[in-house]
Amino acid sequence: MKRFFYAFLVMVLCTGGLPAQGQLSGRLESFGNFFLRDSLIGAANTPQYDHQLYGAEAWLNLNYTIKGFEFRTRFDLFNNSNLLNPQDSYTAQGIGYWYVGKEIDRFKVEAGYLYDQIGSGIIYRAYEERALAIDQALLGLGLQYRLGDNWLVKAFTGRQKQQFDAYKSIIKGLSAEGFIVKGEDKKVFLVPGFGIVNRTLDDGSMQSLVSSLATYRKEDQFSPTYNTYAFSFYNTLTRGALSWYVEAAYKTRDNLSDPFGERVTLSGDTVVGPTFFQAPGSVLYTSLSYAKKGFGASLEFKRTQNFSFRTRPQESLNRGLINFLPPMTRVNTYRLTARYAAATQDLGELAYQADVSYKFSKRLRLNVNFSNITDLDNLLLYRELYSELTFKKPRKWTLVGGLQWLQYNQEVYYFKPDAPLLQAVTPYFDYLYKLSRKASIRFEGQYMKVGKDEKGELHDYGDWVFGLVEFAVAPHWTFTVSDMYNIQPGHNSPVDDQGNKLAIHYPRFDIYYSQGPTRFSLSYVKQVEGIICSGGVCRVEPAFSGVKLSVSSSF
Amino acid sequence: MKKITQTGVLFVFLGLLLSSFPSCEEIPPVIPSGQNNPDTAIDVSQQKRQVLIEEFTGVRCVNCPAGSAEIQDLLLVYGEQLVAISIHAGEYSPPLPESMYDFRTEEGDQLINFLGAPFGYPSAVVNRKLFDGEFSVQLSKAKWAGYIAQEAAEDPRVKIGIETTYSDSNRSLEVKVTLYPQEDLSAEDLRLSVAITEDGIIDYQVTPDGEVPDYEHRHVLRDMLTAYDGDPITEALLPGSSPVFTYSFQVPADWNEEHCHVIAFVSKAGADKDVLQVHQVEMK
Repeated sequence: MKRFFYAFLVMVLCTGGLPAQGQLSGRLESFGNFFLRDSLIGAANTPQYDHQLYGAEAWLNLNYTIKGFEFRTRFDLFNNSNLLNPQDSYTAQGIGYWYVGKEIDRFKVEAGYLYDQIGSGIIYRAYEERALAIDQALLGLGLQYRLGDNWLVKAFTGRQKQQFDAYKSIIKGLSAEGFIVKGEDKKVFLVPGFGIVNRTLDDGSMQSLVSSLATYRKEDQFSPTYNTYAFSFYNTLTRGALSWYVEAAYKTRDNLSDPFGERVTLSGDTVVGPTFFQAPGSVLYTSLSYAKKGFGASLEFKRTQNFSFRTRPQESLNRGLINFLPPMTRVNTYRLTARYAAATQDLGELAYQADVSYKFSKRLRLNVNFSNITDLDNLLLYRELYSELTFKKPRKWTLVGGLQWLQYNQEVYYFKPDAPLLQAVTPYFDYLYKLSRKASIRFEGQYMKVGKDEKGELHDYGDWVFGLVEFAVAPHWTFTVSDMYNIQPGHNSPVDDQGNKLAIHYPRFDIYYSQGPTRFSLSYVKQVEGIICSGGVCRVEPAFSGVKLSVSSSF
Repeated sequence: MKKITQTGVLFVFLGLLLSSFPSCEEIPPVIPSGQNNPDTAIDVSQQKRQVLIEEFTGVRCVNCPAGSAEIQDLLLVYGEQLVAISIHAGEYSPPLPESMYDFRTEEGDQLINFLGAPFGYPSAVVNRKLFDGEFSVQLSKAKWAGYIAQEAAEDPRVKIGIETTYSDSNRSLEVKVTLYPQEDLSAEDLRLSVAITEDGIIDYQVTPDGEVPDYEHRHVLRDMLTAYDGDPITEALLPGSSPVFTYSFQVPADWNEEHCHVIAFVSKAGADKDVLQVHQVEMK
């Protein structure tokens, strides 16, 4: 791999004096953390808090294009980083990505680490999400061919990236996507497509699976399969303001792991925990949207059954995922409304979502969203009703306010047995006032009121209040002060030595400075543990106490 | 016409591709029958490769009982070829308010720092080895059986004999560990660790069914007679040699000596921490 990097450098350096022939661009993203132990909130007992004190992550991309060739590479750095495992420290650095691509008339060839997806990603999505430590690039070869004016056929084969290595299983696939114009007035657009993805399990993973199955009772054993195929058909139909997307996917029998599987052991005990089983899978996903003159509405539906698709069944959480299942909840951004996020359940989920927005005038706009997620046995996992009213005085101030009401299954999303269905109501506001052409001030306020369990204790951490003041002077400076206060501690709130629940403040101070494409930030952060999600893919974010520094730039 | 032909070709190709799948039969792997290793003591000369599994657990860890049950099944399959230690350390290890015992040990806390914290539970370390394709020695439950099978298939590079002398009157314990190198190991920096575990302790445990008061805790690490990462072996380990190491220990009154085991293992020092061989005997 290093040879490719050096070849890239040599190519760039050799052509450096000939800027007219090629174009060099790049991007840097870097983060530094200084850890300040705070045992009370759980920011302790990791190597970083105990003795390392500092951690860093950085990514430097370099892209070079010349004569139809594309060369890309990326230097990745992890120094005492807690990104991969929040409880541990990871140190490694090197070339985490390289890519060479060339278009030859209708044909395109790509080699290296490939990012791509088929349809909405239900059978295949190779992507990167740094905040979640996800990098599912495929190390391999990709071919594309333009069939006529309206069809693009793609084929690929390779292995999934695993930090600076690659998993051993082979993933290969084929897709075709078209663009068809229909109707007498030529105003009906169809974007149909289909895809096939195959994963061939490597011998090591198969032997490991066989060894595990050898510890199962005969009636729980199954004949594991090396090859699994996933098929998907999808189409987007657009006519005027109406757009309808539908995707149906099927996966042949696959070796799966159920994190809540129940099994009788050889010793005769019944245990609940990760258990291998084998089943085919399916997903049906559709979304209908309409947008016209200040009115917008969308409806989404998804049914998922046994559609965990991984490079090997031994991987869990966000590791080794080959596909991506679209989330069925709105993306919340305020600190408290985003606290309880629903991770996509790939083994069984029945979900729908409706979203309506209406612009009454230039000043007033309303958005209402409702989402409901159950498992296939109709057990409620997540339900949310969200309203947002935006009131504006153009060029002077903007007021956003609303209410979130949700129900959240802690047993499933937090792996907490016997935890009650969490209920929370959160009113919020966000007020932006322009002091001058350059200066503005923004206030945020949220209050989360949660329900009580059978013992009369407040759910999870109890009630919260959050306040934020942000002062910005364009185009360079932004200062932010915020505090999240556990005003009524609940079942899981920290306790003192006498066992009394503590009402703790979680303050945060940020300074941002931008100079052209370069941005610096310095933050003091005390953060409660929680879950962070991106597109329904989530991970536990442990409590943090310390100072964060980030620098990003592009050129 | 051209468009119709191209779309037609595409769908004919797709049809051919789909119709070919039913014929793609593969030969499935054979699942070996379990319980093929009796759990009976054998002579050191007959000793096979014995594998160490160190499970990281805690009484507050809801998913850990499933891991412990998996280890019991693995012990049924591998018998004496597998030695288990359950280390109560990490975020889920503090005792519950109603717990009778605190299973945490100083060595356990040191070991979780030494080996790295788990990425989710259940988690265990197999022979302290960083296996190909893994970036941590901590392994999720789904990976234990495979790596144990892989390690158990190797030949032992050193064999271990353990003799114990326990006095009922004053609860004193003498441990004599003898190493039998099977090859020249003199160039390697090796450590000898000796640990005591206690089996069958009944106390509270959080499980998926809630708090269970009479949960049976297995293979609980109680103490170590050496440093947490082992004592340096200064004697040259050559084939034919048999260096002896002795230890004395006072068994605390609240331990059930009938359920205690003495475990000795040889491991590498440095970046690689691989365990070469492990052996266990009953304390009494």
